Amino acid sequence: MRERGSPLFRRHRPSWRAPVELLSFGLYFLCAVLLVLSRIGHGVIGDARDGLVDFSAPLLEVASLPAIQARRAMDRVQLYLAAFDEVDRLKKENDELKQWEWRTKLLERKVAHLRSLLNAVEEPALVYATGQVIADARGPFVRSALINIGRQDGLRIGYTVINGDGLVGRTVDAGKSVARVLLLNDLNSRIPVLVGPAGVRGLASGDNSAELQLDFVPEGAALYPGDEVYTSGSDGVLPRGLRVGVVAGQPGAYKVRPYAELNSLDAVSVLFFDTPALTRADSPSPVDDARALSAAPVEPSNTTTASAALPVAAVVPTPGGQAQAER
Amino acid sequence: MTKFLPALSVLFAVVATAVPWGLPADATFILPLVVVMMVFCWGAIPGAALHPAAAVGLGLLADIMSGGPLGYWALMCLIAATVGGRTGSLGEGHNLVKHWLIWSALAVMLGGFGWLLASLYYFRWIDWWPIALGAVASIALFPVVLYGLLWIRYGRLGPARGTIFRGAS
Repeated sequence: MRERGSPLFRRHRPSWRAPVELLSFGLYFLCAVLLVLSRIGHGVIGDARDGLVDFSAPLLEVASLPAIQARRAMDRVQLYLAAFDEVDRLKKENDELKQWEWRTKLLERKVAHLRSLLNAVEEPALVYATGQVIADARGPFVRSALINIGRQDGLRIGYTVINGDGLVGRTVDAGKSVARVLLLNDLNSRIPVLVGPAGVRGLASGDNSAELQLDFVPEGAALYPGDEVYTSGSDGVLPRGLRVGVVAGQPGAYKVRPYAELNSLDAVSVLFFDTPALTRADSPSPVDDARALSAAPVEPSNTTTASAALPVAAVVPTPGGQAQAER
Repeated sequence: MTKFLPALSVLFAVVATAVPWGLPADATFILPLVVVMMVFCWGAIPGAALHPAAAVGLGLLADIMSGGPLGYWALMCLIAATVGGRTGSLGEGHNLVKHWLIWSALAVMLGGFGWLLASLYYFRWIDWWPIALGAVASIALFPVVLYGLLWIRYGRLGPARGTIFRGAS
C-alpha cells in the first residue's frame, strides 16, 4: 500500500523545468564544441586543464591515500600468505645471481680495459626524482596516471617515467606540482624498441589493453616468446636500454607483455633525460635550468643520479637514493 | 544542505573514479558509468533531480581528472540527466523495476554511443569490450546505487522501502 503522506512519494517537479529545454540545448552544444576543441588540441583547453588538475591535486592526493594504503595492506597479506614459496624462489634466484655477479665482475673489468684502450667518452649519469601516483585515468580513451611531481621539481613534458620493474611511460602534461604520465598501453603510446639478443628493431604500440602490439618488425626476424624488449632510443626522446617487457603471443601477432604492472602503479621515477627534441617541444624555464639536466647534470636536493650505461635495466636506484628522492 | 546532496554525492563519486584502485584494464569504464548512473538515479528520487548544468560541470570534472577529451563524460552525464529528469520519479507510477529497465536501455545506448564517439574521436575502432563490461556492470549495480542514494537522501527508508522494491502502483 502506497503511503500518500510520505515525503518520499509526494509529487515533486523541479523548479528549473521551464528554461531547462533551452539550457539543455546550449549545454549539448557546449559539449560538442569542447570535444572538437579537445580533438584539435587547442592551447586554451590544455592550459585550462593543467590549471584545474594542479588545483585539484591536493584533493586527489588526500583521496587516494586510503586506496594506496589498502592496496599496500593487501599486497602485504598476499606476501605473508606466499612467504614460504617466496623464500624458496629467492634462494634459487640468489644462487643464480651469485653466478651472474661473478660473470659481471669479469665483464666489467674487460669492458673497463677496452674502454681505456679506446679512450671512450664516459656516458652522462641520469638524474631522476621519485614520486607517487595520485590518480588513475579511467575511460575508453586514455591510460594515464597523475603523479605528484611537477614543473617546480624540474619536470618537463616528454620525460621518461619508470618504476622498479621497467618503463612505465612518459609525461605528456606538466603542471606546477603534478604531471600526467601517458602509460605504455595507451592508444597514443609508441615506443621504438629492440627485441631479443639480436636487437631486432620494432615499435611497441599501446591499444588500451594490458599488452602492447609489436609492429614494424623486419620480415623474417627471429623472435621468440620470452625475448627481452628494451628501448632503442631511436626516437630521440627515450634513453636507450630501458627494460620494457618480454615478447608474448604467436608468430605474426607478437605482443609485448610489460614488466611494469600498469594497473597498480604506486611509486614511479621520472628520468630528467633532456634531448634536442624535448627542448624544442617544451623549452626549459629558468627553474628547469637549475634542476633538469642531461649532459651536465646538476644534482638537485630531491633528485638522485643513476647510471644509464647498462644495456638493459639501465636505471636501478639504490635503496638509500630512492628514500632520499622519494617525496 | 539537502539541495546540494545530489551534486555533492556525484562529486564524491567523480573523485573516487580518479583514485588509483588498481582495477584491471578491462574494468576502466565501470566507475565513470556509475557516476553517469548516479546522475540518472537522482532524477528518479522525488525532489532531488540534478540540474543539467551541474551534471555537465561534474562530467567536465570527470573529463579533466581522467585526462580524456573534454566534453565526453559531460555529454554522457547530460544525456543521463535529461533522460532521468523526464522519466518521472519513484512513486509517480514508477517503481524500481521500471527505472531499472529504463537505465538498462539507456546504459546500452550510452555504451554504443560512447563507443562510436570514442572511435570517431580517434579515427579508429576502439576496443568495445571494456565499454560493454562497464554497461553490464552498471546495469547490475543499479539497485545498489539507487538504494544508496535513497539512503543518502532520506536516511532509513522504513515502510517505503518495500513499496520501492516491490512496486509503487
